[in-house]
Amino acid sequence: MEILSQVKDLVLLAAQHGAEGAGEALKHAEELGPQKFVTVGYLWLIPFFPLLGFATNALAGHWIQRRFGKKYVSYIAVGAMVLSFAVAMVALIQMLGLPPSDQYMVNFLWNMITAGDIQANLSFSLDPLSMMMTLIITFIGGLIHWYSTGYMADDPGYWRFFCYLNLFVFSMLMLVMGDNFVLMFFGWEGVGLCSYLLIGFWYEDIEKAKAAVKAFVTNRVGDFGFVLGLFLLFWALGGSWVERANVIPPRETRWATADPNYKPQAQSGTFYEKDPSLSPSKAATTWENYRRDPASSASKGGIRVGPTFTFRELRDQLAVDATGVRSRLTGMTFFGIPLLALIGILLFVGATAKSAQIPLYVWLPDAMAGPTPVSALIHAATMVTAGVYMVARLNFLFALSTAAMTVIALTGAATAMFAATIGFVQNDIKKVLAYSTVSQLGFMFIGVGVGAYWAGVYHLLTHAFFKACLFLGSGSVILGCHHEQDMRKMGGLKRFMPLTAKTYLYACIAIAGFPIANGFFSKDEILWKAFDSGSNMLDPSIGKLIWVVGWLTACGTSFYMWRSYYMTFTGEYRGARGEAHLGGHAPLLPALVTGSLASLPSSSVDAHRAPTDSPQVRDMRHPDSGADPHAAGAAGHADHPDHKAAEGHGHGGMPHESPTSMTYVLVTLAIGCAATIVLGFWAPLGHLLHIDWMQEPMLERWLSPTFAPSRELVESRGAASGTFWEWLLMFASIGVAFAGWLIARAFYKDAKSTVPEKLAAAFPGLYRVVYNKYYVDELYQATVLRGTSILAKALAVFDNVVIDGIVNAVAVVGRFVANIDGAIDKYLVDGAVNALAEGIVELGGRFRRLQTGRIQNYLYAAVLGALLVIGINFLVH
Amino acid sequence: MPPAATILDNARSLPYFLPETLLTLGAMGIFLLDLATRRDPRRIPIIAFTSVAVLVLATIATYYASSLPYLANGQRFTPMQRPVALFYGLIVIDPWAVLFKYIFWAVTALAIWMAAPSLEITSERMGEYCALLLSIAVGMSLMASSTDMLMMVIGVELVSMVSYALAGFRKHNRKSSEAALKYVVYGGVASGMMLFGMSYLYGLLGSTNVAAMAPLLQRYTERVFLMNLESSQAGAGQLALVLAVVLVLSGVGYKIASVPWHMWCPDVYEGAPTPFTAFLSVGPKAAGFALAVRILYGAMSQSGGQDLATVVAGIPWPAVIGVISAATMTLGNFAALNQTNLKRMLAYSSIAHAGYLLMGLAAASATGSESIAIYLMVYLFMNLGAFLVVGAVARLSGSESIFEYRGLSSRAPFAAVAFAIFLFSLTGLPPLAGFVGKFHLFKSLIDRGGAWQITLAIIGVLNSAVSLYYYARIVRTMFLDQPLTPAPIPVPRSYNVLLGVLVIGVIFFGLYFDGLRRIAEASLPMFGHS
Amino acid sequence: MDHLLSYIIFAPIAGVIAIGASLAVPMDKPQRDQFSRWVALICAGVAFVLGLYLWVVYDGSTAGKIQFIERATWIPSLHIEYFVGVDGISVSMVILSTLISFIATIASMPWWRGKDEHDDPEHPHFSVVKVPGYMIMLLILQTGMSGTFAALDMFLFFVFWEVMLLPMYFLIGIWGGPRKEYAAIKFFLYTLAGSVLLLLAILALYYRTGDQALLQRLATVNPEAFRRLVDAGTLAMDPQSHAWAYRMAEGGFASNTFNMLTMAKLGQAGLFDLVGPFLAGITFAKLMWIFMFIAFAVKVPMVPLHTWLPDAHVEAPTPISVILAGILLKMGIYGMLRMNWPILPAATASFAPAVSVFGVINIVYAAMVTLAQTDLKKLIAYSSVSHMGFSLLGMASMTESGMSGAVLNLFTHGIISPMLFLIVGVIYDRAHHREIEGFGGIAKVVPEYTALMGLAFFASLGLPGLAGFISEFLVLNGAFANLPWHTALSAVSVIITAAYYLWTIQRVFLGNLNPKYAHLPDVNWRERLTLYPLGALAILFGFYPNVMLRLINTDLFALVRSVKGV
Repeated sequence: MEILSQVKDLVLLAAQHGAEGAGEALKHAEELGPQKFVTVGYLWLIPFFPLLGFATNALAGHWIQRRFGKKYVSYIAVGAMVLSFAVAMVALIQMLGLPPSDQYMVNFLWNMITAGDIQANLSFSLDPLSMMMTLIITFIGGLIHWYSTGYMADDPGYWRFFCYLNLFVFSMLMLVMGDNFVLMFFGWEGVGLCSYLLIGFWYEDIEKAKAAVKAFVTNRVGDFGFVLGLFLLFWALGGSWVERANVIPPRETRWATADPNYKPQAQSGTFYEKDPSLSPSKAATTWENYRRDPASSASKGGIRVGPTFTFRELRDQLAVDATGVRSRLTGMTFFGIPLLALIGILLFVGATAKSAQIPLYVWLPDAMAGPTPVSALIHAATMVTAGVYMVARLNFLFALSTAAMTVIALTGAATAMFAATIGFVQNDIKKVLAYSTVSQLGFMFIGVGVGAYWAGVYHLLTHAFFKACLFLGSGSVILGCHHEQDMRKMGGLKRFMPLTAKTYLYACIAIAGFPIANGFFSKDEILWKAFDSGSNMLDPSIGKLIWVVGWLTACGTSFYMWRSYYMTFTGEYRGARGEAHLGGHAPLLPALVTGSLASLPSSSVDAHRAPTDSPQVRDMRHPDSGADPHAAGAAGHADHPDHKAAEGHGHGGMPHESPTSMTYVLVTLAIGCAATIVLGFWAPLGHLLHIDWMQEPMLERWLSPTFAPSRELVESRGAASGTFWEWLLMFASIGVAFAGWLIARAFYKDAKSTVPEKLAAAFPGLYRVVYNKYYVDELYQATVLRGTSILAKALAVFDNVVIDGIVNAVAVVGRFVANIDGAIDKYLVDGAVNALAEGIVELGGRFRRLQTGRIQNYLYAAVLGALLVIGINFLVH
Repeated sequence: MPPAATILDNARSLPYFLPETLLTLGAMGIFLLDLATRRDPRRIPIIAFTSVAVLVLATIATYYASSLPYLANGQRFTPMQRPVALFYGLIVIDPWAVLFKYIFWAVTALAIWMAAPSLEITSERMGEYCALLLSIAVGMSLMASSTDMLMMVIGVELVSMVSYALAGFRKHNRKSSEAALKYVVYGGVASGMMLFGMSYLYGLLGSTNVAAMAPLLQRYTERVFLMNLESSQAGAGQLALVLAVVLVLSGVGYKIASVPWHMWCPDVYEGAPTPFTAFLSVGPKAAGFALAVRILYGAMSQSGGQDLATVVAGIPWPAVIGVISAATMTLGNFAALNQTNLKRMLAYSSIAHAGYLLMGLAAASATGSESIAIYLMVYLFMNLGAFLVVGAVARLSGSESIFEYRGLSSRAPFAAVAFAIFLFSLTGLPPLAGFVGKFHLFKSLIDRGGAWQITLAIIGVLNSAVSLYYYARIVRTMFLDQPLTPAPIPVPRSYNVLLGVLVIGVIFFGLYFDGLRRIAEASLPMFGHS
Repeated sequence: MDHLLSYIIFAPIAGVIAIGASLAVPMDKPQRDQFSRWVALICAGVAFVLGLYLWVVYDGSTAGKIQFIERATWIPSLHIEYFVGVDGISVSMVILSTLISFIATIASMPWWRGKDEHDDPEHPHFSVVKVPGYMIMLLILQTGMSGTFAALDMFLFFVFWEVMLLPMYFLIGIWGGPRKEYAAIKFFLYTLAGSVLLLLAILALYYRTGDQALLQRLATVNPEAFRRLVDAGTLAMDPQSHAWAYRMAEGGFASNTFNMLTMAKLGQAGLFDLVGPFLAGITFAKLMWIFMFIAFAVKVPMVPLHTWLPDAHVEAPTPISVILAGILLKMGIYGMLRMNWPILPAATASFAPAVSVFGVINIVYAAMVTLAQTDLKKLIAYSSVSHMGFSLLGMASMTESGMSGAVLNLFTHGIISPMLFLIVGVIYDRAHHREIEGFGGIAKVVPEYTALMGLAFFASLGLPGLAGFISEFLVLNGAFANLPWHTALSAVSVIITAAYYLWTIQRVFLGNLNPKYAHLPDVNWRERLTLYPLGALAILFGFYPNVMLRLINTDLFALVRSVKGV
């Protein structure tokens, strides 16, 4: 009875809170006007320092490294990171001082493009969302820089590595801080470039190079969609029904909203003070004003309506009903397809490439060919979350189309599940983490897909911490085991590298979703919001379905993460003592499995393995003397201080703990995993215990200005299932976390159990398919790539043979005709006359006779003709 | 309606006839000089300079004659505007004729200049050569200025007969004799046909005077068509008229070497001594065009030569000429593509250029004849220049094969550069004079603006693109290929000087052709024109 | 400097004269070569400096105002004038041509210090063969190029246009590669065949401008347009002949005119559209449009008229490829922008769809063909074809951003493709071949070279932050407004381009080092001098394209509006 009553209380509680929430939301919506913002002059410094570091190292890094040593290279790089983090902190402090509605800082540098409708400025802006991203990038990025000083210590390309890293941070900051699509796209492709450079960092290994190319080209496929979506949006905004560059006075705005039968087309004339000339110079002058005092139009509460690339202006015209833009867009269709859905999906295509979602996730696993810090920074913490960031940044746009939201959420769910299953059977530790990253990104997209933007972003944050921690931990393991990445060659590392083990363990707890680390809170919030999404999805039941998928995936996550932990850190050390190099040559499949797979020729297994595994295979051996840490050879290795600290001898021997520069970073990140709980601490508990600061998760409150435009819409469509369900689902997800853990523990702890092998043997086909990642790469290879290359070759032949052929044929024909002409003259005429001449020669006295003879004949002919004509003439008379 | 040209009797005509008289006397004088300087080692220069001097005198005389009427009225020297008919209207002296006379004197002088260092013209035959050239000059000037068909025939025959002799000038040279032979055969037939045609015209119209013919012809045509209405005997009259015109035109066509009367051209050009070939390619061609313009705009024109599009005897002659022009330039260019003998190639190219010139005739307008005049002036420079280089190269080697020109840029740099300039000018590339000429021809066609004129113009421009191929082929051989022997080819100084003059002319007229246009415009008021 | 443009145009001619005079002076070969090199370098440098000065003093604020006008009657009887002047569009092109010419001249200097161990006596490097001739040709070419961009009189334009042909023919034909003769004559014939049609069109238009009957019809059909012409002073009544005529430079009257600007005004008033069916039922305006378009499309080059380009590029020596890609290809689009679009707007409007289709074909087809190339230079040549397609598409879109993208593309591509060709030249000078498969892993031995090539490649594949991106972005965005499907199709090239460039980098630079090239020397100072400025510009225009856009757009948009006004 007690319990029941308590539950009833909770339900009631939830009910009224829900009501309040709704009320707040409505109030919020009424207040919602154009985004106010403040101008500041220093934001450009944040990306500038990494750029400076990049430039310095790019131009002089080689020389510095030779002349002064690697230390100074890293000073430059890490110093740049520290400075930009410091500036970011300054920005944060200033932003904390602002009222939420004004939390939008703009720093205009210069007008980049002015062409017709297009106005693109090089100007940075920070709102709570991008502030958070900036902090993540600079903080974790800084940490990873620091970590790299240890990890890359022996690499001759040290300076190159750090200048790429700086360039990456710069691009990433452009991506999140740019206040318009163009700048975002700058960063968007810039990070793609850096990931290309860093994946192919050890370029002498052609496989790594190929992986790099694959990554960039795949991202380009995404960009194709992204750009089209962008153009579509721009085109949609640039309708002819409204003058460009106009300003709506706020007062009329309210009146307009009050007006029941409001028609922008009809009344646009009255609402918008017309600017008769659309000349670019005119537009430019308005921008000049904006440049002189960006606050001016804001203080007037003005909205610049029309095609724009600037997020703020886009937000304003979509959020403020008075502009009529929203109602217009929702009405529009593009060749029959609802326009907003199309825009959303196209933009999301870009996200699928950048954030490794189905169907464009294929590049991410290969991207593990890069050095491990790169995997941690780019392919876990920052770049791959760009897609999520983009969707969250455009929440006001995506929220308008439930179709787009559904697509995003479903894709996320599918990817999460799909990647997790692959993760079950991978033996390469980085591969496991790679697929888990794909899977976690799927979770994030579920979040932003169902409209729980803050939850998705929160998961982005937590993931940044625990996944970075995991990757760096794996990096430490790999370094400790002399570039061994196969978990079956590890085990028992707990003893050798305690710090690494502990941090890795805590990160596992975080990702697996135990309520004592940040991962749980974000993931649970996402799942709950998915369950609760209601008609944000095309069909309410979809939300439930997504919850189920996510719930199962969570179980899977827990399983494979614990699996990796146990295989790596518990049991006996199975690594080859002394020469780790042999490791790579050993077959990847466990002996038992290969035995059980006797049916299929092992060659085919290799073949299937080839496209994706090989980079790792290369990474295990030392393919490229001197381009790889340790490859500097025993000598260079022996004098490596940290290695001395760890164990007397360099190569071979037992694994050893990594240098402090690395372990400290691990610890910091682990602490971060714990600390970030505060940001999103579970609200229902707050309600239950009546703790004020827990009423609304801190991060949600912090981000609310950014997500305000979509909030009302999303919440109005939500299902509001009530707190009872929320509790229930929470316990459910805790349950699956434990379940996954227990299974993994049973199977892999100390490598005692033989169940996994048995299972693999029981379903060889299934195992093989999953192990080879469902042969997706092979599929693409066979269809898209081969198709393209064949077509290209065919067209090249066509160009040479047909088009050029026609031209040459014309020439040939010309010459042919020429020959005929020549022949006529030569043989006919010359022939005649020469024959004549011959004849005369025999007769002798050639000239006279011939002349008389011949010419008389001609004259006879002429005379005959004349007579004929005259005869005719007489006849007719 | 022709302007009231003052018709003079023989006695009063003589001063106007001074240039021709001078030349005739000069020719005789050269013969004597030839005898006088048998032993003289400096015989060639002496003769050459004398004949050139004669030509200079003739030039002055021409200017004097052209401004006689004004002198008579006590005015000062001014080039004539109004035509004057001489010898009871047998020949006329009008700006058109005057312009062509200048051209003839120039080309003759150049041909003599070229002949001087040439080894084809041996020293003992130099006098002969010069004298004959001078008499040809007289013949050409008669062709250009005669307004009576009889005089025309005399002019044509005078030119032809002497040309036969000069074509076979290289003794013991099979090619040369062959050339002479063919030339004689074709020439004889052609002039015969022309004569016949003219006689027939006389029979039909009752006059041999071009100026008088125009109205007669018009009336006759009308009558024919009148008959057409009632009886069927119009057919015969029409046929007769067509036959006559065709025969006359064929005579002209033979002189300007247009299809289908072009066949003598390559062989004669190849066989004849190079200086004379050069002369042949410009002089008689120009004379032929002068003649053609006279006939077409004089005899066959209605409304005073402004418009020839009106049908004579039911046939639109401009269109016919257009077809001939298209055929001529196309055949000329295509036949030239694969020639390896330079003189032969240039022969075909000169056929093609006759085709271009015919465009100006086909335009059948004042601008048309103006463009012809301009083109001929320009053509004089570039074509003589081209033959001059050929002569210079063939002078020692005696070979005109294109292989002789391999790497000419290193063996005779100046000649090679000059040749390249002439060739590209012949192609019609700005900023060279050839472009100016072509430009005006196309201009005259487009000015008419009819459909077939535009089509003809398109054919013309495409042809000049084709012609580029074989001209550029020579340039390529000279500049891009390696020479067979590095030995430099000695070019006589007199040749180099002349080359320099011609090159400067080609470039100057390419860059500034207003003068050319003024001269051509001034030459338009023609006997029989309004 | 009121004759600034003439100085820019004819500065190289001074060099030609100097070198020509030096031929008369007896010198030994090295002396003469060195002398002519210096003369060429100085003249090109002077022209370049003057070009920069032009940029500085050009007043970009005013729209539709031609500046630095120099006008003098050249051939009075034909009303031909020496009439040069620049507006925003042409000034950018003039600057570009002086810059690229200067860089090409630097690139024509011998590339090794002292003796060269990589050079074989059989095939001497082009920069030591017949140097005076080479320099003369190069200088004449430069005059032709800047003249074409500055000319405002059609006849003058045509003369300059043709003046470029001869030097190009010799430069490819004499100093080119193995199949140089074929390539040279092919280029020559293609271009001439195109330009003779242009000549006809120019003449025909010239006559129509003097057609009194036509003018009368215009006055009756469209009186206000006619009145506008008269008020603007374009047309005036000639007191002598009492006919409509055009004012000449010296105040006289011209019955007809070659003046492009006047013709544009007349065309936009609809004069040429009044001429009825002309040849084979096509109206006069359309026929003339086609004539001019063919001439320009050959230069662009537009598929299927593009086959001269790969041959010419492959055979031409590096600096000539640089000029070819950097400037000559731009002439096509520039010509359309000066003639087809403003003078025959109605015909343009009716042909624009076709042009857009050709643009898409250029972009996608050429990109696909590029993917299959094995010769480094051919690869870049085809990629140029593909990139010029963007200009065609932008021109066809007739939107402001599309057009300005098209024109900006001329400039950015004019910066990037020379860099690409220079880079290929660097490797060709060292390895004496350009087979992509023939290298491998050389990034290890020539890091600086690798970095430069990477920069150029990424700039060319439209990486944001580098010049190429902006123009492509503008074109696609502008084109999308009225040609969504064309744009979508063209955007595919974004993927293909990335594919072939990265694949090339992979095959040439990455992987295991090909032992044959273990001792490849890295870029030297002469090459740095040519490559770094271009690289810097590529970055500058990537982040601050407005420097150029501001120059171009004011006049371009005026043009777009006046063209659309029909």
